[in-house]
Amino acid sequence: MLPKGASREAVLPLLDDLGGLRPGTSDEVRQRSGVPAADVYGVGTFYSLLREPEAGVRVCQGLSCQLHGCEDLKADLDAAGVANTWASCLGRCDVAPASWDPDAEEPPVTTHLSPDDPDLPLNLSGRDAESYDALRRVRREGPEWLLGELETSGLSGRGGAGFPAHIKWRAIRNQEETERYVVLNADEGEPGTFKDREVMLRRPHLVIEGLAIAAEVLEARDVYLYTRGEFRRAVHAMERAVEEAKTRGDLDDELRWHFVEGHGAYICGEETALLESLEGKRGMPRMKPPFPVEKGFRGKPTLIQNVETIANMTAIVLRGGQWWKDLGATQPGTKLYCMSGHVNKPGVYEAPMGTSMAELLELAGGVDGTLKAFSPGGASSGYLPASKVDVTMDFKSLQEEGCMLGSAGVVVLNETVDMVEAALHQAIFFEYESCGQCSPCRIGTQIVRQTLERYLENRDPAALSHLDEVSWGMEQASICGLGQAASWPLTSAIKYFPGEFGRSA
Amino acid sequence: MSDSKKQFIVIDGNELSFEDGETVLQVAARAEIEIPTLCWDPRLEPAGACRMCLVEVEGARLMQPACSYKAASGMVVRTQTDKVRRNQQFIVALHQADTVQTREEAESNEPSKLWSHADLYGTAGPWPAVEQVRADRPLDDNRFIQYRPEHCILCSLCTRYCDQVEAVSAISLAGRGATTTISTADRVALTDSTCELCGGCVDVCPTGAMSDKPALLWGKPEKELEKVQTTCNFCGVGCQIQLNVDREANRVVKVTAPDPGTTVNDGNTCVKGRFANDFVHHEERLTTPLVRGDDGGLHPATWDEALDRAAQGLIRIAEQHGPDSLAFVSSSRCTGEENYLVQKMARAAFRTHNVHQCAAT
Repeated sequence: MLPKGASREAVLPLLDDLGGLRPGTSDEVRQRSGVPAADVYGVGTFYSLLREPEAGVRVCQGLSCQLHGCEDLKADLDAAGVANTWASCLGRCDVAPASWDPDAEEPPVTTHLSPDDPDLPLNLSGRDAESYDALRRVRREGPEWLLGELETSGLSGRGGAGFPAHIKWRAIRNQEETERYVVLNADEGEPGTFKDREVMLRRPHLVIEGLAIAAEVLEARDVYLYTRGEFRRAVHAMERAVEEAKTRGDLDDELRWHFVEGHGAYICGEETALLESLEGKRGMPRMKPPFPVEKGFRGKPTLIQNVETIANMTAIVLRGGQWWKDLGATQPGTKLYCMSGHVNKPGVYEAPMGTSMAELLELAGGVDGTLKAFSPGGASSGYLPASKVDVTMDFKSLQEEGCMLGSAGVVVLNETVDMVEAALHQAIFFEYESCGQCSPCRIGTQIVRQTLERYLENRDPAALSHLDEVSWGMEQASICGLGQAASWPLTSAIKYFPGEFGRSA
Repeated sequence: MSDSKKQFIVIDGNELSFEDGETVLQVAARAEIEIPTLCWDPRLEPAGACRMCLVEVEGARLMQPACSYKAASGMVVRTQTDKVRRNQQFIVALHQADTVQTREEAESNEPSKLWSHADLYGTAGPWPAVEQVRADRPLDDNRFIQYRPEHCILCSLCTRYCDQVEAVSAISLAGRGATTTISTADRVALTDSTCELCGGCVDVCPTGAMSDKPALLWGKPEKELEKVQTTCNFCGVGCQIQLNVDREANRVVKVTAPDPGTTVNDGNTCVKGRFANDFVHHEERLTTPLVRGDDGGLHPATWDEALDRAAQGLIRIAEQHGPDSLAFVSSSRCTGEENYLVQKMARAAFRTHNVHQCAAT
């Protein structure tokens, strides 16, 4: 029997099966799901991959692609008569400028990685761990042992928030409700970030084993893997891993694996928006509290972890929480740093948490040109100037700089970049990806983008006069992290490069 | 009330008791502490979207929406701080930049809660107008409801009302971010959707973005009309409605509903109560009873004359052909009491069980 609410959950898969939203589609989905047609239309129009089924090639205009000539790429496609449209991020910053045809096979990406080293927990260049010894050990030692190791390790969320994992896990175990869910947040969409893509492609068994451990410890029967729709190869890799592990008898037969594709909405990486999307709704973040550990998917206790976070479970179990913790330089563990923009070897580098920016630049083959600024953790993190190159790249140090590590999607800018334009690129991203639910974010992101465009016309600083107040309100009053951080690229660019905004230092 | 220990929350220094599940806004309202809102309605689940009602909660990093934030024992809330006021002015300025630019335009028809908030709480603006891109429905030729995106603040009161109160779901938030708008499926006309034209969306709209089409055409702002409360006479429920009267023209321009919580209909009306009022001024409207004369034509008469004639006819038929040759059908516009009287007349006065009510089938 379908669980309550299941027909609602069918809305997005139905829209996808029908090839996106065309006239009449909403009504067809209504007939099959019982969800009102206007509601279906509202859901369909929310998602970029559903609302424009005939848009053609999607050209990425994320920051790294802007730095590598996405405008030229789009102009070439236009000239060749190829139907195309802008996409705000495709998660392929290492091969910028990126483009993607949803109707064609996803082209493979060869990226730079840290060299094979068995002492790296994720070791993306190594062989995937297929033993499932960690899962067996957890079954043997019991949940309390695992939670102890997890706490010792100091593992914190690698999606951007940096929240300690063991607190979430314990909170769920303490719930009286026994219907619980485990959700993998693989909706990687932060411009500059492509680490989860590589983990899923290269170490799918690490991801599956981590999820199986979570389900074991939290006594969940269902695992949902919510992966961004552009990452089809990654989904296939994980599906294969589940099949292999099942065939070998490594996984509990009663554990159900649900693969769910995202449909082109950055905000669904926000965990409560992701839950809304899983439930077949517009991906608008929920009010918190209650938090998902208490009321998550279908209103039940739900663990949501990022791909990189969950993939570290195997190493923590097999080599111990203390071993894992000691890998870090300033904070526990290793971190996958995504290097793109003006660097010579863009790629994913696994390095001790708290590696300095200067060392990361070295790993990535040095700066292409002279370092001017960098964005340390995706679009939301804002910019730091070259003078901060010695900052240690961890959650704490960057927060002290008024910045954040976020997803560690590092974008490097050289001396050719105009910081007003750099701020504008991020503003375009946030305006396009705002869910539109709350007014500070929906209207604020429009004001920031339109004001910067007006300023670029004649560089009259008077045009910027209201931006301080708008930025303040966006940060203070938005519902979720998107709106709260959406003005940081602008405010940080003004702070460190006041001259380019017509202000004195 | 349960006998559990009373719980208290402190708002602006006042210790206030509350029940489990109550929001900060509800507790504050009971103590007459005013917290401004734009997207809140007592009939709906709070959306927390407009951010007008943000207040400071001790221990929370950011301000929290009073409309959805649940009161908890020992919670300390402040509604009058500089930060709270700064936010109120920010929110007003944002929406002013994103909608029509002048008060005159904003209130050319319905009054705007946004602009009355600007009077009470101030604005951080004016800021340059946002080049807004919300789609309307140009091909929607329904006669009663007009969506004007340039007035819309996307508070979603209309869509939540349509879903949660009427259970009709004819309209939804559509699109994303800057393009978010209010739409039917495939942007069809309301009359081609599940819409029942109850006009609740017009009533809950704080800025006149969902507007009464006939009143828009009439052209006079609502604040210049006089509201006359009356009982809707389309059925027996007894809904209270307000006739909005243009005294100069001596004309009912539109119907609005009294505030939710004040009357039996809780601020709701149906399509007839809200929009079927053009008969009031119709030139063929009957204003006296008509009685057929010897010439075969209908002639104005008094109520006494008309009732006498009807009584004579009924008595004559009953005497000539027996009581069961008569049947009584009462109107769906009758009240329960009136229906009772009709059956009483049929059974006691005319001794027949042939009695029915047109809404009973």
